[in-house]
Amino acid sequence: MNSIFDGGPGVLTAEAIIQSLASGLLMGLLYGLIAVGLALIFGLMDVVNFAHGEFLMISMYATFFLFAFFAIDPLLSAPLVAAAMFVFGAVVYLLIVRFAMRAKANAGMVQIFSTFGLAIVMRGLAQFFFTPDYRSIPQSALGGKTVSIAGIFLPEPQLVGALLSIAAFGALYLFINRTDFGRALEATREDPGAVALVGIDKNRVFALGWGLGAALVGLSGAIMAIFFYIYPDVGASFALIAYVTVALGGFGSVFGAFAGGIIVGLVEATTALILPPSLKSVGIYAVYLLVVFIRPRGLFGSM
Amino acid sequence: MTITRRDVLLGATATAALMPLAARAQTSEVVIGVIYPFSGASAQQGVDAQKAYETALEVINKDTDFDLPLAKGEGLPGLGGAKVRLVFADHQADPQKGRAEAERLITQEKVCAVIGTYQSSVAVTVSQICERYQIPFVSADNSSPSLHRRGLKYYFRASPHDEMYSAAMFDFFDALKKKGTKINTLALFHEDTIFGTDSGNAQAKIAAERGYKILADIKYRNNSPSLSAEVQQLKSASADVLMPSSYTTDGILLVKTMAELGYKPNAIVAQDAGFSEKALYDAVGDKLEGVISRGTFSLDLAQKRPMVGKINEMFKARSGKDLNDLTSRQFMGLIVLADAISRAKSTEGEKIRDALAATDIPGDKTIMPWKRIKFDEMGQNNDADPVLLQYVGGKFVTIFPPQAAIAEATWPMK
Repeated sequence: MNSIFDGGPGVLTAEAIIQSLASGLLMGLLYGLIAVGLALIFGLMDVVNFAHGEFLMISMYATFFLFAFFAIDPLLSAPLVAAAMFVFGAVVYLLIVRFAMRAKANAGMVQIFSTFGLAIVMRGLAQFFFTPDYRSIPQSALGGKTVSIAGIFLPEPQLVGALLSIAAFGALYLFINRTDFGRALEATREDPGAVALVGIDKNRVFALGWGLGAALVGLSGAIMAIFFYIYPDVGASFALIAYVTVALGGFGSVFGAFAGGIIVGLVEATTALILPPSLKSVGIYAVYLLVVFIRPRGLFGSM
Repeated sequence: MTITRRDVLLGATATAALMPLAARAQTSEVVIGVIYPFSGASAQQGVDAQKAYETALEVINKDTDFDLPLAKGEGLPGLGGAKVRLVFADHQADPQKGRAEAERLITQEKVCAVIGTYQSSVAVTVSQICERYQIPFVSADNSSPSLHRRGLKYYFRASPHDEMYSAAMFDFFDALKKKGTKINTLALFHEDTIFGTDSGNAQAKIAAERGYKILADIKYRNNSPSLSAEVQQLKSASADVLMPSSYTTDGILLVKTMAELGYKPNAIVAQDAGFSEKALYDAVGDKLEGVISRGTFSLDLAQKRPMVGKINEMFKARSGKDLNDLTSRQFMGLIVLADAISRAKSTEGEKIRDALAATDIPGDKTIMPWKRIKFDEMGQNNDADPVLLQYVGGKFVTIFPPQAAIAEATWPMK
C-alpha cells in the first residue's frame, strides 16, 4: 500500500530519498556508538554482554533523573553519565563476570546466563523503582531543534550524536593504538596468559575494558535520552540492533561496529523506502545473512 | 490398612456434612481473573488498569451511594453479599502468554470470568480459551472490530470498536465539510498488530465509501527505534488530516520525529490508544495543541453527572492520574461483569453468560456518555456512542457529536 509501486503522489521524490539517507546515516552513527561497547568487550574477552540494552536503559534513566532533579541538560550530563557507567561496568565485571568466567565447564553458557540474568534483574528493578511510566525530557538545549539544509532536515540531537559518535570512535582508535593501556588491552586480548608474565594484571585490564565499554553506552544513552522515550524495556529494541551491528561489522572489531552501524542505519532507511515500513528490519537481517554467506566472521572481523 | 464398610460410610457422611459448607464458602467470594501486561513495553497500561479495577472493586465490595449497579450495599446482592476478589495475571503483550495465563486463571485460580486485555491481539487468544472452558470474557478496552465477529458465545464488549470510532471521525469530517472546511485527503499511520491493522482497514474502507482520498497508508513496526523514514513519507504526502493508530511509545516518537523533520499537519485525528495517555502529553503535549482523539470518555461529563467526578477522585487517589479513555472503560467493564454475576445468582460460566446477554443498563447509570449497555447476539454493545475530544490548553474537551460537545472544534490545529 505504501511502497513506490503504488506510486502515491510525491512519495518518492529525490528530496525524500536524500532525506531518508541522511536520517539513516545519522541513526546509523548512533547505532554504531551504542554497539561499540559490545564489540569492545567481546573482542577483549569473548564475552557477549546480554545486558547491553539494559546498560543503555539505565544510562537513559540517569540522564533523565539528572535533568528532572538537577536540571542538568543531557549534553552536559553526558560525560557524568559516561563516568558513572564506567564505574558501573567495572563493578559488573568484578562482581559478576569475573566469577562467571571461572566456571570449569560450559563457561560460555554460564557467561551468557549471568549477563542475561543481569538484564532481567535490571529491567525488573527499573520497573519497580522507576515505575513502567514512559519518561522523556521535554526541554533541552538540542531537543526538538532542527537544522535545515536545502529542504533536508537534520535533527540536532541526532546530528550532535553522530558527531560525538565520530569523535568517540576517533578517540577510541587513538586510545587503543597509542596508549599503554590500549596496548595492554590488545595484548590481553591476544594472550591473557602471557600478559601475566610481564606483570599486567588481567583482571584489571578486563575491569577497565568493561568500564570503557559501559562508558560508551553511557554516552549514547545520554544522547538518546534527548529524543527518545525512556521506560524499563527501552533497551530491548536497541540491543537487538547492537547485536546485528556487531555481527555484521565483525565480532570484536571496533571499526567494524562503526561501519556496521552506518550500514544498518542506511539499510533500514532505504528498506523503508522500498518495502512497507513494517518490514524495514527485514532489510537489515537480509543484508546480515548475505554477509554470513560471504564472510561469516563479519565484514571487518579478524578471527 | 483395610477399608471397612463403616469407614466408607463415615467418609461419605463427613463429605455430605461438609458439602454445603464448601458451597457456602465458594459463594462468599467471587473470583474474577484480570489479565493485562504488567511487564514489558506496555506495563504502564497494566499498572494503570489495575488501579482502575481496584477502584471498581471498592465500589462493588463497599457501600457507596453512586447511581451505578452494585454501588449501594456491600458485595453482590444476588449471591448473599459475596465479595469479589480479583486475580491479576501478566500477559506481557504476548498472545501466547495470554493464552497460557488465561488457562491458568481458569483451571488453577478457578475464576468464574475473565476481563482484559488492552492489546486486541491478546484478546484474540484469551477469548478463545475462555470460550473453550465456557467462561465469560469481558473485553473491557479492546477496540478491534474483528474481535466480536468470530462467533464466540462467551465474548462481551460494552465499549465501541474501531469501526464505530472511525465512523464518528468521518461523521465529524462530513459535518466540517458542510460548513466549508477543506478536507479531501487523508494520511493513515498505523502500527502492525491487530489494533493498528483493523483500525487502518476500517478507516480505508469508510474513506472509500465517503469519497476521501488516502494519500499515504503507512503500516509501521511497533516499538521501532526510529520513525524518520515513515514520517518522511507522511510529510511528502502532506494530506489534510493525519490519522494515527499508535500505542504510547510510537506516538511519542512520531510526534517528536514530526517536529524534527518539520512536518506540521493541518489536523491530527487519532485513534485513541497512545493519544489518550498522560505520558504522551507529558512528553510532547506542547506540540499537540489542538490534536483530536476519539474516545469513549470525557471528564466533561462530571459537569452533568457529578458521580463521574467523585469516581475520578477515587481513582486519582490510587493512581495519581485522571481517569482516561482506557481506565474508564476498565472500571465500567468490571461493574458490568459483576452486575451480571450478581443477577446470575451463580458463579457458573453458563449462567453468568446468560445474565451478561440479558444486561440492560441505562446510560445515566454508567460513567460513560453512552445511551445504554445492551449486547447484541455477538456480544457487542452498539449503543456505546464514541466521542471526539480535542486537546486544548492542557486538557480534553468534547467537540463531537453535537449533543455531547461542550466546545467548537479548533480547525486547523495550532
